[in-house]
Amino acid sequence: MVRTLLSRVLSIFRRRLLERDLEDEIAAHLAMQEGEFRAAGLSAADARAAALREFGGVAQTKEEYRERRGLPGFDTVQQDVRYGLRGLAKNPGFAAAAIVSLALGIGANTAIFSLFHALMLRLLPVERPQELVSMYRTGGWSKGFVSYPLYQEIQKRSDLFTGVIARTGVTKARFTPRPDARGEFAQKEFVSGNYFSILGIGAARGRLFTEDDNRIPGAHPLAVISYDLWRNRYGSDPAILGTRILLSEKPYTIIGVAAPGFHGVEFEQRAEIWVPAMMADTKIASPNYWWIWVVARRRPEVSQKQVQAAMDVLMQQHLNALYPKSYNAAMRQRALGQRLEVRDAGIGLSLLRDEFSRPLTVLLAAVGLVLLAACANVANLLLARGAARQKEIALRLSLGATRARLVGQAITESILLVSAGCALGLWLAGWGQRLVVRFLPEQAGNPFSASPSVPVLAFTLGISALSVLLFGLGPALRSTAIDPAAGLRPGALIRSGPPLMRRALVVSQVVFSVVLVSMAALFGHNLYAMRSIDLGFRNESVVAVSLDLPRELRGDTRLWIRQFAAQLSQLPAVASVSYGFPGPFLMGTSSASVRVPGSERTAHEPVDVQTAHISPRYFETIGARLTLGHEFGAGDNEGARKVAVVNEAFVHAFLPGELHPDSRRLSFDDTKPEGGEPVFIVGVVRDIRHGGIQTQALPTVYVPIDQAGNAGNPAILVRTHAPPSALLGPIYGFGHGVTIGSLRTLRDQVDDSIFEQRMLAAVGALFGTLALVLAAVGLYGVVAYGTARRTQEIGVRIALGASRGQVVGMIVRDSLLLVGVGMAIGLPAALAAARAVRSLLFGIEPGDPASLILTALILAAAGLLAAYLPARRAASVDAVRVLRAE
Amino acid sequence: MSTRDPGILQGTLDLMVLRTLETMGPQHGFGLAKRLQQISAGALDLNQGTLYPALLRLEQRGWISSEWGVSEANRRAKFYDLTPAGRRQIARESEEWARTVALMERFLKPAEEQ
Repeated sequence: MVRTLLSRVLSIFRRRLLERDLEDEIAAHLAMQEGEFRAAGLSAADARAAALREFGGVAQTKEEYRERRGLPGFDTVQQDVRYGLRGLAKNPGFAAAAIVSLALGIGANTAIFSLFHALMLRLLPVERPQELVSMYRTGGWSKGFVSYPLYQEIQKRSDLFTGVIARTGVTKARFTPRPDARGEFAQKEFVSGNYFSILGIGAARGRLFTEDDNRIPGAHPLAVISYDLWRNRYGSDPAILGTRILLSEKPYTIIGVAAPGFHGVEFEQRAEIWVPAMMADTKIASPNYWWIWVVARRRPEVSQKQVQAAMDVLMQQHLNALYPKSYNAAMRQRALGQRLEVRDAGIGLSLLRDEFSRPLTVLLAAVGLVLLAACANVANLLLARGAARQKEIALRLSLGATRARLVGQAITESILLVSAGCALGLWLAGWGQRLVVRFLPEQAGNPFSASPSVPVLAFTLGISALSVLLFGLGPALRSTAIDPAAGLRPGALIRSGPPLMRRALVVSQVVFSVVLVSMAALFGHNLYAMRSIDLGFRNESVVAVSLDLPRELRGDTRLWIRQFAAQLSQLPAVASVSYGFPGPFLMGTSSASVRVPGSERTAHEPVDVQTAHISPRYFETIGARLTLGHEFGAGDNEGARKVAVVNEAFVHAFLPGELHPDSRRLSFDDTKPEGGEPVFIVGVVRDIRHGGIQTQALPTVYVPIDQAGNAGNPAILVRTHAPPSALLGPIYGFGHGVTIGSLRTLRDQVDDSIFEQRMLAAVGALFGTLALVLAAVGLYGVVAYGTARRTQEIGVRIALGASRGQVVGMIVRDSLLLVGVGMAIGLPAALAAARAVRSLLFGIEPGDPASLILTALILAAAGLLAAYLPARRAASVDAVRVLRAE
Repeated sequence: MSTRDPGILQGTLDLMVLRTLETMGPQHGFGLAKRLQQISAGALDLNQGTLYPALLRLEQRGWISSEWGVSEANRRAKFYDLTPAGRRQIARESEEWARTVALMERFLKPAEEQ
């Protein structure tokens, strides 16, 4: 058995030699037989004929012999491949159209799937990742994190978990890799002592943390670094252990290097340095300080549901103890509403995933449609080609080729097309990934791995195989279903498969494009609607800078920042500089409890409002308009009377009726109904949506930063024509020891906040265009073919007096009929799809009439365009010539 | 694919070829074909060409080996010879045949013996 197989495999490589052997052997046989017949007295010609007769079919014997010699089917496949390649080379236009269609479909799918895989499916490189869960706190404040005491309570539940890890988020920290080296940045994570042992991560060098490395606050200046950091920053220095580093300006000693490939448990952020949680500069033991993200390994016999039930009980007990009845009722209610959501952590923790999973699912469905549209297009091309080759096929059938063999050849050709499409598609996918990454918010980094992973490749091959079935099989069966006798008759009517099948394919293409185009229109309109929302500030080109200040400046930054801002405002390209904490758009929140004398709403209980501490020219810099009063000036400092600017939402909530600046006041002393020390309201500013585009502004009080208790770490706002990067040099020049936390325009900030909508609109438009072009090509093909077949009929009509206009109308009607049928099916489907993505829409309805009308117009235009050339050709038919040819 | 039916069981032709090689020694294809026709005395209606795929099959199984040589008429031809494995195969197959024939005979003998 093995021997037979071996000889068959070997034969593939010695093909030519073996072929000559066989030739010689048969020739020898025939010669000997002929010789015998000659000897028996036959003439040369008769002897030859008799010898051949005795032998039987020479060609058949050879064929049988070859089949037995080679691998079963291998020679056939080789022949078919060669035949297919020849056929495609002879028809480069067809081949290019088919391959590009497939490459677009396959490429789009691979790009979106690789993102889906990276975000939703890829498991962390840790031991048994499927057992990992994370406790995500919801409701209340600063989602996700829990306090250290709460972590300790969770850790006690050894009935549920085999281990519970505490860790902070991964954050950028100032880092000095060697005592004498320059400072840079590294991604740091505080972890509990059991972090590595519970994840099952080993050490590549030295040792990793144990429980003993995380017992006493501030007493464990030890660090473990990632393999990549060791390789890239230390050149895999074998003497790495014991190296002294500075991290956030504190000294640590490196005790180990983690196993290669491990970058922590977060999806977006790769950790490079781990230090014990006890080294954190925070009120570690405070139950009100939320800074720990819990990851636990659940016992295999305990389900995630059971863990969730247990966590619900544990959290309620914890919160009831933490917020006794005496607490402010509103605050207590909000606090008790918090839950611990048990999440699957095997694929890594991600904040991005929550926001991203919805648009990603939509895109995955959309690319599926693109692939279907591409397949329909190729199927249509194949049918047309099959029709053109009908004579050849009929001839081959009558010469004895079996239909199975012909179908096999057609399928081989399809596989060749898909292979080329697949290769080109993988290349396009890389390009598509870069496009998608451009829309991700800055903190997301690049989630794609550099080389396509095995599951992604498997997916690509899978959809490629699927497409062969989708587009190849039908036409292969169709075009070989010919009666050889009828097909060969001269002047036989050449059928284009059944026109019905081609028409159905074109209609399906129209349906796919209706759905995709309408989605693109919907997302485009959605984006437009979001863009036209008044954010309260007009100047989006303001650069917002957040600084990471050196330790000695952390106490009170006000004086330093004022000087720094003054220096920046001297730069030639800078129009104005201001600063404030928090910044105007999604740069954090700050709140305070106030009383407003005269307001019924604060008469019984104080009310929480948003606050911001701002410098003079703040509103001018960002382009926010005051409806009343004026901004703060340099004189609104510590010694002056307390002043505030409030927003319109504040006025609506607490100051109904006529309003004059300075006539109203509020108080941050919330102990008495009428408040304590008054703060005079000197201005009213229009609402600024600093909670994001989709969030209505809350009542907000702006106070001069020089009158605030603590300025925090304000964002510096620079109104400049120069690009953000032009500020880098001056900032480093003015501020010694200062590093830049982030430097971006408000526009970037706004864009990032709606990245889902922007990505859906852009990628949706791309897919919609793709589907539309494919459909238009398909339409053109069918209409042009139909017109060509009706040339005689058209000639007769013209001869009988039909006007050119009537002929053109006939062709255009044909095209529009197909579009109309496609729309009749596609529009309900588009509506259903729109309802499925309702949660991604803001300010427009799924049945958005503007989008639907636009879609209908675009499709009708495509239909007209596709009919244009065939119609022109039909209108120029020369009736006399056509009739003469008859 | 060929639609020709050799009219005999594949295993039968194999055994006939092996047995012929055993009795006659190394042979070329034409010699084998002639010999088979002679022995079967025309009862075997066989296209000579059918022999070659069969020879290839036997060679692939390692029962015969082939070598180019010169025929009695001083012509280049490919000669086939039995291998030791081929000899063992003849023994096995003959036994099988004997059993099959004996079995069939018992069925085909006149009924009165039972």
